[in-house]
Amino acid sequence: MALAELVQYVATGLLVGGVYALMSIGLALIFGVMRVVNFAQGDFMMLGMYLTYFYAISGSIDPLLGALLTIPPFFVLGWIVHRGLLARVTGGGDPQRQMDAQLVLTLGLSLVITNATTMILTPTPLGIRTGYATQAFALGPVLLNQARSYAFAMALVLAAAVYVFLTRTDLGKALRASADDPEAASYQGIDVRAMHGLAFGIGIALVAAAGGLLATYYPIEPTVAGNFIVLMFVAVVLGGLGSIPGAFVGGLVIGLVQSLTLLVLPFQLQNTGVFIVFLLVLYLRPQGLFGRRARTV
Amino acid sequence: MRPLSRTLIVVLALALVAPALFIRPAPAAEDVKIALVAPLSGRWARQGQLKKMGAEMAIEEINSQGGIRALGGAKIVLREGDAGDSVEKAVSAAQRLLTREKISAGIGSWLSSFTLGVTEVAERLQVPWLSLSYADSITERGFKYTFQTSPVSSLQAEQALELVTDVARRNNRPIKKAAIVGDNTAATVFFFKPLREKLLAAKGIELVVDEVWTPPLADATAIVQKLRSTQPDIMFYGGTNFPDSIQVLQKIKEFGVKTPIQGVGAWLVTPEYVKTVGKELLDNIQTVVAAHPLKGQEDLVKKFVQRTGEPFMTQDPLCTYAHVWLIKEAIEQAKSADPKAIRDALAKIDLSSGPATSAFYPARVKFDERGRRVGAAPLIVQWQGGEPFTVVPAAVATRPLAWH
Amino acid sequence: MASRTRGWLAIAAVVATGLLLTFAVQERYHHRVLTLVFLWAAMGLAWNIISGYAGQISFGHQVFFGIGAYVTVLLVVKAGLTPWVGMVVAVGVAVLAAVLIGIPTFRLAGIYFGLATLAYPLIFRIVMDWLGYQEVAIPMKREQPGWFMQFNEPRSFDLLALGVLAATLALSRVIETSRLGYRLRAIRENEQAAEAMGVDSFRCKMAAYMLSAAPAAVVGAVYIHAILFIVTPEAVFGLLVISQTLVVSLVGGAGTLWGPLIGAALMVPVSEILDTTVGDRLPGIQGVVYGAALMLIMLYAPEGLYWRVRQAVRSRAGRGGEAARSVIVAPPADEAVASVATQTVLLQVRGVSKAFIGLQALSDVSFDVREREILGVIGPNGAGKTTLFNVLNGFLIPDRGEVRFLGQPVTGLRPSMLCARGVGRTFQVVRTFPHLTVLENVMVGAFARDAAVSRAGAAAMAALARVALADRAEAFPGGLTTLELRLMELARCLATAPRLVLLDEPLAGLSADGIDVMIAMIRRVRAGGVTVVIIEHTMQALLRLADRLIVLDQGRRLAEGAPGQVTQDPGVIEAYLGKRWLARLAAR
Repeated sequence: MALAELVQYVATGLLVGGVYALMSIGLALIFGVMRVVNFAQGDFMMLGMYLTYFYAISGSIDPLLGALLTIPPFFVLGWIVHRGLLARVTGGGDPQRQMDAQLVLTLGLSLVITNATTMILTPTPLGIRTGYATQAFALGPVLLNQARSYAFAMALVLAAAVYVFLTRTDLGKALRASADDPEAASYQGIDVRAMHGLAFGIGIALVAAAGGLLATYYPIEPTVAGNFIVLMFVAVVLGGLGSIPGAFVGGLVIGLVQSLTLLVLPFQLQNTGVFIVFLLVLYLRPQGLFGRRARTV
Repeated sequence: MRPLSRTLIVVLALALVAPALFIRPAPAAEDVKIALVAPLSGRWARQGQLKKMGAEMAIEEINSQGGIRALGGAKIVLREGDAGDSVEKAVSAAQRLLTREKISAGIGSWLSSFTLGVTEVAERLQVPWLSLSYADSITERGFKYTFQTSPVSSLQAEQALELVTDVARRNNRPIKKAAIVGDNTAATVFFFKPLREKLLAAKGIELVVDEVWTPPLADATAIVQKLRSTQPDIMFYGGTNFPDSIQVLQKIKEFGVKTPIQGVGAWLVTPEYVKTVGKELLDNIQTVVAAHPLKGQEDLVKKFVQRTGEPFMTQDPLCTYAHVWLIKEAIEQAKSADPKAIRDALAKIDLSSGPATSAFYPARVKFDERGRRVGAAPLIVQWQGGEPFTVVPAAVATRPLAWH
Repeated sequence: MASRTRGWLAIAAVVATGLLLTFAVQERYHHRVLTLVFLWAAMGLAWNIISGYAGQISFGHQVFFGIGAYVTVLLVVKAGLTPWVGMVVAVGVAVLAAVLIGIPTFRLAGIYFGLATLAYPLIFRIVMDWLGYQEVAIPMKREQPGWFMQFNEPRSFDLLALGVLAATLALSRVIETSRLGYRLRAIRENEQAAEAMGVDSFRCKMAAYMLSAAPAAVVGAVYIHAILFIVTPEAVFGLLVISQTLVVSLVGGAGTLWGPLIGAALMVPVSEILDTTVGDRLPGIQGVVYGAALMLIMLYAPEGLYWRVRQAVRSRAGRGGEAARSVIVAPPADEAVASVATQTVLLQVRGVSKAFIGLQALSDVSFDVREREILGVIGPNGAGKTTLFNVLNGFLIPDRGEVRFLGQPVTGLRPSMLCARGVGRTFQVVRTFPHLTVLENVMVGAFARDAAVSRAGAAAMAALARVALADRAEAFPGGLTTLELRLMELARCLATAPRLVLLDEPLAGLSADGIDVMIAMIRRVRAGGVTVVIIEHTMQALLRLADRLIVLDQGRRLAEGAPGQVTQDPGVIEAYLGKRWLARLAAR
């Protein structure tokens, strides 16, 4: 196949992967700090899409800006959800049981959010009409969809902001300390529970923003979460549960895998490529690309 | 004693819950009940609601015109079952309805997988069932109580190809290369299979793009890229899942692909498309459907639009409307509300006029021994200015075909 | 054990109730609900075998359900094979799938296992769509409906589903009361301790997985014939199936066969009622209720309703409360018994080295352990003592070096294999199986030698008697004192009939009296013919106990010899004891 075509496949995969990357960072942060696998992550993204739609309809706010504007309310929402629900689940004190219990809790939360949204907002698909969703930048023979390019750029910016926050600010360092060693962190005077709430809030805010960016080219319906949640998990595992740069790279890789799978497998099996990569990573290197060595039996 | 006291808890729990299940509404004495099992809630609620609107319109007409004469003016009453968003719910709703009420005949259920399950129930309980589903499998099971009014997908493929190549030839743009693009849902698969296996080759048309995906579609670039490089003369399109379809259509515009689009199914004819991608993008896109308002049905359409506030009338309400009238005719001929008698009447029926034939092209309702409508043929509908119009065959078209 | 027959009686009572309901219920739709209750209870029980008993939470169990459905229906469609036989084939395929999935996936710990299980049903869904099996309808067989599981009489489906439930109940009960059941629970409670007690956790998990796949496949096959009539990938491999399974099992309570029964009896009718009454006005109400149920259970009763109610009933009845605690008296002093160690070398350690990131934990350590001696291992914190035990026990593989036990090389063998060969172990921090009674804890050790539950029980009681803990047999570890816990762990270790035991700081956290008792017990152990290697900090105690000492410092063997000798060694004094200690000892 021609080089230009191959480059197009790669470019498409990366653009798609950029938004996956942003979705996954939130999940990675939550797991890294709290050891919680948040099954409801996709549903919060869906809610972010609806809020962005609301901004577009009522205030004529472009979804790229709307995505940013979802961050404050969803941060608060995440904080509340943590305080009210997650922090209360202890699983009887055993850390393994606690992780299982929180996983089930977030699964239940996911069911509630998806179905309640269907009930309240009705399932008719909605779309935000933007001019740039159907236009492309031409880089030689390669076409880069404008909406996805903007979304990719924004995703990069947000991810970089999170990275800077975590590495350069005191609060960010406190967060990382709570992730590395909660006991030691609490001896240092860090309120670990508050850190968990912070992490959850940021994680939810990030995925809501990703939803807003997604809404520039993807229709909005209550069941949208289902299309992406497994991809998010795969990206996070690929990068290394708990690693933020890892999740970002993981998201890009998943986008690439999806795109490049088409060169080898029939189109209908596109997502099996992703799942096979997922399983291979789990078997061969469960700690992912950037994570620390996971305990195997 | 402990294990037994636990058993007691289980029994008590069941006993507490069981009585609630025994509540039943009392049936009205003379009315004839028709069941409609369709998605009334959840993802496909819109389609189910549209069917219901069509059914209600027919019922109101029938009842206001004197009801069923053969039964002394008995009125028709609609009993709905919500198929929800899963086969289990659909089958459950059908079973509930058909066992709790004296249902004379039923209609539904939109998704072919729902219809397959629901007709299975109807067959076992011996209640005649009308469906507008296209999938061949619906009437390939040797059932006696299932009647399929739409032309089956494989037949649609053959006839649609004829229509399309004919039009192209008359406009001096014969079709040499074709593309097949769509998902792997049942009706689409049934349409594409004969196309790619023999029909295109028989007409000397080269298949240059053949891309079928499993929903959800991550990105349409790979598909549209191929379209751009091969430039087929027509693209047969089956993107039944709305988010996937939007992506494909937008990508086609983005890449500046000019291939005419020939949809496969009525899912492409909903107002949501206009709202989401705008009418300019939709202009000239065509699709093959089993039913759509034809020339001469303007009054019917106007009535529907006024009643419901919908921007236009489409296959679902139209077919359901006709189905109700068809059942009424069958009851008249059977002179009975008994399901078996109605089934026999439907098996023998041969109508060529009247509201019962309004949704069907050609306007004749007669079923073969499998339950398929004899002579059923598809229509081609085209988006023009944000509204879909029947354009082919020209004899029944409401607007002339806009050539690209 | 009378409770065993009572358990079977209770199951019979449940089945009888099911029969009663089958014949009492009139309406066809209600029969459907009843069938669903039976089927989902059976599915929950199947899931429970791997995720409840063994604690390996699977989020992809619908894989087997779907395999059961597809294989059976495809065999009817393609080969005209009756589903009664087709089901058997489906079970075979499902069990094979369990093996193929289990082999790579059980190597993953904790959350990774659960995440991996997500992937399989998704892959199956895509593949089934691709193969063209989006909607496979069961062909109607009018001539021989019963032969093809197509009954006209709805009661027949109830009976079929009840039969599946009864079989799964029986299977669960058999597992619960078998060695496998105890071992699975031990794995769930503390996998490493279980391994040290001779439980090959991989094989046990695999057995449980295979046993849980079979009923799931049967449920899938019956579900299609009784409820759905057509198979779509979404319907059998999708989220609804696993949500239903999880809700039924978790709400009722995992780890017991009563849990899924209660869960199904409660949640299935509730969901159906909601669906029929408000389902069209509030679409998705079922999902909301299921999700809320899962959340509420995790918040307020994470073990499930069954366990929560049982706990409440128990504490109200005052049972499980503390029996009068007898003070453990130290057995008569055996201080004067001379060392009875022979010259036979039981355990040979040669040049063992082990490094972790940034730390050389062990460096070229070599020594022998002679039969029937008590060998003490001492050294400062971080000297590598527990690491050494982990190597000897099989928890760690050394980078270099060799370990030989009874002349055979054992380097790198799994802990369960070392236990089988006769190496026992207790842990620095006692690792109990918290939800098992003391007796059951010890039985896990006894199972290393005997598969029969009754004989293992007797052996466990004997081991408890040896450590004077027999009267605490029915208590739970949570109610034991530190001394009692250590004695229990010792008894558990002894029940594996070891030739050599590795005791890691058995005196830590004990009072002076407790130490006396423990020392006496250890001497008893040696007197019974078992070789003892013991890590300890308390030098006084070790001097009383040990025949020989080994001193480790920073991963190296610093000294070796009789206690008197070693304590005079200047290197040892410098690194570990300190001159003042020596002075105090001399002053005594």
